[in-house]
Amino acid sequence: MKSAFLIGHNDLRLFLRNRASIVWLFLIPTAFVYFMAVPNRGPGSPSNPRPAVLVENRDAGFLGSVFLDELGAQGLNVLSPTNSADAKRGIRIPPDFTTNILAGRQGKVGFFKVAGGGDAESAMVEIRLVRALIAINSHLLEQSASDRGRPPTAESLRALQHKENPVTLDVQFAGRKPIPTGYSISLPGVIVMYLMMNLLIFGGVAMAWERRSGVLRRMIVHPLHRPALIAGKLYGLMLLAAVQITFFLLVGRYWFHVNLGDHLCGILLVLLVYAWVAASLGLLVGSIIQSEDKVVGLCVLSSLTMAALGGCWWPLEIMPDSLKIIAHCIPTGWAMDALHQMITFGGGLPAAAHAIGVLVLFGLGANVLAAKCFRV
Amino acid sequence: MSFLQVSRLVKCFGATRAVDGVSFEVRPGEIYGLLGPNGAGKTTTISMICGLLKAESGEVVIDGTGFWTDPSRARRLMGVVPQEIALYEELSGRENLEFWGRLAGLAAKEAKQRAAELLEALALADRAHDALKKYSGGMKRRINLGCALLHRPRLLLLDEPTVGIDPQARLKLLEFIRDLAASGTAILYTTHYLEEAETLCQRIGIIDQGRLLAEGTLAELQQRLGGRHLFQLEANLAGVQPDQWPGFAQQFQILQRSDRHLLLAALNDCDPAAGLKALLALPVQVDNVSIKRPSLNDVFLELTGRALRE
Repeated sequence: MKSAFLIGHNDLRLFLRNRASIVWLFLIPTAFVYFMAVPNRGPGSPSNPRPAVLVENRDAGFLGSVFLDELGAQGLNVLSPTNSADAKRGIRIPPDFTTNILAGRQGKVGFFKVAGGGDAESAMVEIRLVRALIAINSHLLEQSASDRGRPPTAESLRALQHKENPVTLDVQFAGRKPIPTGYSISLPGVIVMYLMMNLLIFGGVAMAWERRSGVLRRMIVHPLHRPALIAGKLYGLMLLAAVQITFFLLVGRYWFHVNLGDHLCGILLVLLVYAWVAASLGLLVGSIIQSEDKVVGLCVLSSLTMAALGGCWWPLEIMPDSLKIIAHCIPTGWAMDALHQMITFGGGLPAAAHAIGVLVLFGLGANVLAAKCFRV
Repeated sequence: MSFLQVSRLVKCFGATRAVDGVSFEVRPGEIYGLLGPNGAGKTTTISMICGLLKAESGEVVIDGTGFWTDPSRARRLMGVVPQEIALYEELSGRENLEFWGRLAGLAAKEAKQRAAELLEALALADRAHDALKKYSGGMKRRINLGCALLHRPRLLLLDEPTVGIDPQARLKLLEFIRDLAASGTAILYTTHYLEEAETLCQRIGIIDQGRLLAEGTLAELQQRLGGRHLFQLEANLAGVQPDQWPGFAQQFQILQRSDRHLLLAALNDCDPAAGLKALLALPVQVDNVSIKRPSLNDVFLELTGRALRE
């Protein structure tokens, strides 16, 4: 066991000492997280939780500013006309807004396009605007019902704004699950794709080189059992995976602001089990292919194919049923399933248990094959 | 008392008998040379001794215990220097030594200390922190040797350790190996360089096509030619049948011939002067005759009918 740790630590040292590994382990995958998030970005993108809106408040009374507060409370980033560079849509509050409403007449708020922006931005702002209108109407009704005869004031309406709603919505997924978008798809997708690619390449190339150069033969003439040598090689790759996983969870959480949910331990478990599958496949590839160049070629091709088919580049949810079946024949599909259960759908370990179980089976199969084909 | 005893080892690869009944022993403090051309079965023999390959039959006994009776013990007793430079190019000489020392079972502190000692002994202390990829071929060979010595093995298996290095680096390495033997280490040294076997090894086994053809000290092997002198004759020998010259076959044995040269061993302990006289009396125009003591190549020639260098 001591020898296995020694071999694993030495392998990690060798992997990290290679300058190219910094590029392939950290820099390129980080760029991929960003670039892959762009085409997959949807209206619910967690990186864009408060859409900006330009508000022209021409109202001389207090209701205009109360309405502005309500827009903010409904999740809109309210910008004034002097600071509206980010706004793609605008809301116009008319000059007689307060006067009309207090007189019992209908006040109409205008909604208009500022510049650029697609339908998604429009929907994001519109839905919040409608919610704000419903809220302000309900506050006015409540005010008139509870304080009959006395006109509403800014203070009374703001007190109602802070009052807890008697009826709230308990949100649960009802049948169809939402489609993961933005960084919620790109972060797990990139982690899954690059864990597979790097562990296949680093594991396969290291094995092929060590066998060709005689390092493996030299190891085995030491007082060291063959299973300890295989365990050491796997351990080194698992350490490399742990470094990459830690890096991406930190970058995802603190740089890309991905909400990783309440099940970080579950996410780590999924990623480690998946890394074990990939590391075993790396050893297997390195055992059966002699040339390092061929290992790299095969690993890049197979990891990209598995990434595309497994839902790392686009959500499995938008793929046809036939491709969904294919996705569930490869480990990337199951890893993405498990991660989406916890990151996007808010499920815990039980929700991902089935996928984890399948990954364990993949891992066992790959490990047994790798040990069987292991040659010095 | 031998430290390594190899008995009737046999190893086949398909229909080829790579090693065919090889037996020899190596004593403590002795350098035993296994001399043979490429493909003779030297590396296969070493691979069976260190447990990389399993023999079809035969036995390897190290310090009185069969290798496969207790492989871990046997491996702790031996150090193996492979023919290839099996080291990590990205690591420094010191890091390589420490890693292989730890793998041989040394504690971290001990490995560090032994690595420092060996770097001194191998005259590489000033390059200890450089990455191995910056070392010359000879320096890498020295580290390759050092990595097998961290745990102070009592048996050292060296598989052609001087391949591809310059003569100066080779001399340094051979000197170091001689010192190791002087300290009591039993050394099995495979080579296809005659000079190395002649100058370094106390006893030599000549191996070809998987079979050990002869073994002994250099003097004993030379005695196979009866301690006789060898004559190199230069003449126009095209179309000539020397065996048909009167009295030739009773006086000389042909070891090697071409259209210009004859290498002859004198029979019947004839003295050099008499031999020379007889050669000059041959019915052929002799351009040149020289006399020499038999070399290992001549012994190999006598055993196999071809030169080791061919």
